[in-house]
Amino acid sequence: MQLSGRANEAMSNDSIIVLKDISKTYKVGPSTVKAVEKVALEIPRGQMVSIVGHSGSGKTTLLSLMGGLTKPSDGRVIIDDINIWTLSDKEMSVLRNEKIGFSFQFASLFPTLNAIDNVRLPATFGDKKETDHDRAIELLNLVGLEDRIYSYPGQLSGGEQRRVALARTLMNKPRLILADEPTGDLDEDTEADILDIFQKINSEGVTIVIVTHSRAVASQAQRMLRMHRGLLSEEEE
Amino acid sequence: MKRLGLLYLAAQNLRRKPFRSFVTIAIVALAAGTLFSATLLIGSVDRSLEVGMERLGADLLVVPEGYQESGQAALITGAPTSFYMDGSILDQVKAVPGVAQASPQLFIESMVSSQCCTGHVQLVGYDPSSDFVVTPWLKDNLQRTLGKDEVVIGSLILANKGEKVHFYGHDFDVAGVLDATGMGVDESVFMSLDTAYLMAQESAQVAESALDVKPGQISSVLVKMADDTNVDQLTQRIKTNVPGTTVITANELSRSVTDRISGFKRGFIAVDAIVWIMSLLTIAAIFSMIVNERQREIGLLRAMGASRHFIFRLMLTEAIFLTAAGGIAGIFVGGAALFIFKAIITSSLGIPYLWPPILTFVKLMAVTMLLAIVSGAVASLYPALSSSRLEPYAAIRQGE
Repeated sequence: MQLSGRANEAMSNDSIIVLKDISKTYKVGPSTVKAVEKVALEIPRGQMVSIVGHSGSGKTTLLSLMGGLTKPSDGRVIIDDINIWTLSDKEMSVLRNEKIGFSFQFASLFPTLNAIDNVRLPATFGDKKETDHDRAIELLNLVGLEDRIYSYPGQLSGGEQRRVALARTLMNKPRLILADEPTGDLDEDTEADILDIFQKINSEGVTIVIVTHSRAVASQAQRMLRMHRGLLSEEEE
Repeated sequence: MKRLGLLYLAAQNLRRKPFRSFVTIAIVALAAGTLFSATLLIGSVDRSLEVGMERLGADLLVVPEGYQESGQAALITGAPTSFYMDGSILDQVKAVPGVAQASPQLFIESMVSSQCCTGHVQLVGYDPSSDFVVTPWLKDNLQRTLGKDEVVIGSLILANKGEKVHFYGHDFDVAGVLDATGMGVDESVFMSLDTAYLMAQESAQVAESALDVKPGQISSVLVKMADDTNVDQLTQRIKTNVPGTTVITANELSRSVTDRISGFKRGFIAVDAIVWIMSLLTIAAIFSMIVNERQREIGLLRAMGASRHFIFRLMLTEAIFLTAAGGIAGIFVGGAALFIFKAIITSSLGIPYLWPPILTFVKLMAVTMLLAIVSGAVASLYPALSSSRLEPYAAIRQGE
């Protein structure tokens, strides 16, 4: 079902995120590229959603629009009933810090910080600094790295780095996780471990949006969407 | 448990490229060190002049014609010298209108030979009845005049109060050590004129080399002007009324020193300005590079909840860390270099030198540090602003 161009004006209180006719265009030389075109989407709290599509179809741009990492050229992004682009930079930073956890295609660890400090990093920008150490250890246990707490990224394998990054995503107990290819380039076992963690946190009521190339990963979600040339459509079961 | 915060993150980021951090620190250290040491040197010369001229207490110095330069050198750096004129010159000077006080001094250059003398220094005979250089000091510190075999010595003479020094076959008791002035006084030994004449007279019998000083001869006349006298007019009157003499004014002494360091000052200003501009440009270039290299990380930090203000402060803090470290290194190295090479610098430039009081020293360190830190902040301002204005998504993508 094609959702592009259909704005869902009514917003359910159960929706954690609502996109209202959002578009994103870029200027590339003299021409304009439409990365996302009039996408309307509503995601209920606690749902796991996957977005599939070819490279360059606009998946990552859409995910960034959802998380307020880039401003839409048109339309509104509403998270927890807040039109996020009406917020100041400080308010937007607090929203990202407290409500959203981002997981990127790359491990994205800071090389001069050890595993636990990398995990603690989001707490630096929030007000939960007192308990961050215990929480970080708890999360490193969750991702199976309790024996690598003080290892630096250069001492960890690619899979271990991704798991540390995932633990960091969960640090501030976000209610919404936006994951961009969270299992890309990983072996099957590590991919399965990470998907298990996603399932576990989703079962605790956390909303998860996963952008992926992998059918296997996408099939783990309760709802699958497809992105094609900037347009979003519901994928049939 | 260590606290993760702005300062910790900034310090960790600088650890990442130690060589680059070192180069930045070294450039700032060069600029700060040059500024610190040169300002300290100039300040020390000025202080020395101020203290030395106050100790000298004279407005004019009358010396035999042709001995102006060696007279100045003796006063400024303590370079030992000997020149003589007839004692009657004193009365002629006193008779010049505008002269309030006049006091004779006799200069005797000691010999390098250790058998003769305690070091190669300037021996100065003064007249206790008219002197205004040593006598006021004796009055304040010893409450008496010097005895026949007593001397007071400058701060750089290697002897202490109560010890003996040896000149031309005579042993003298050190009655006191004068405060440091940085000028020639520090390397001079003062005795009464009578003692000096006696030493000269007996040198033929008791010293390895006889002194050719006749009783009544003097080397210079120190002059204090009357209150309403113009220095140039008095100088001219002395030159006219006392033939065979020349006059060194206190202003000339100061100007002589100022002239000697003016070239150095100009060179220092040019070099330091170039080094500071270089360091500002280097910091700006390095931080622009850092922002480019770390775009993805900046995007990630923003995604985690770091505000623009935090990113701006992080970049600024990193720059300030580097420049503060450069400032500290510069002060340390510049100060140490000046301490080590002070003797070479002062003797080659022919200038007096007196370390400043501790408070001035601390103030100069604070100003150097402040300048280094402000330079870091200014140079990194644009890169820091650019980094804080990056859109998180664009930053993450551009860093890929």
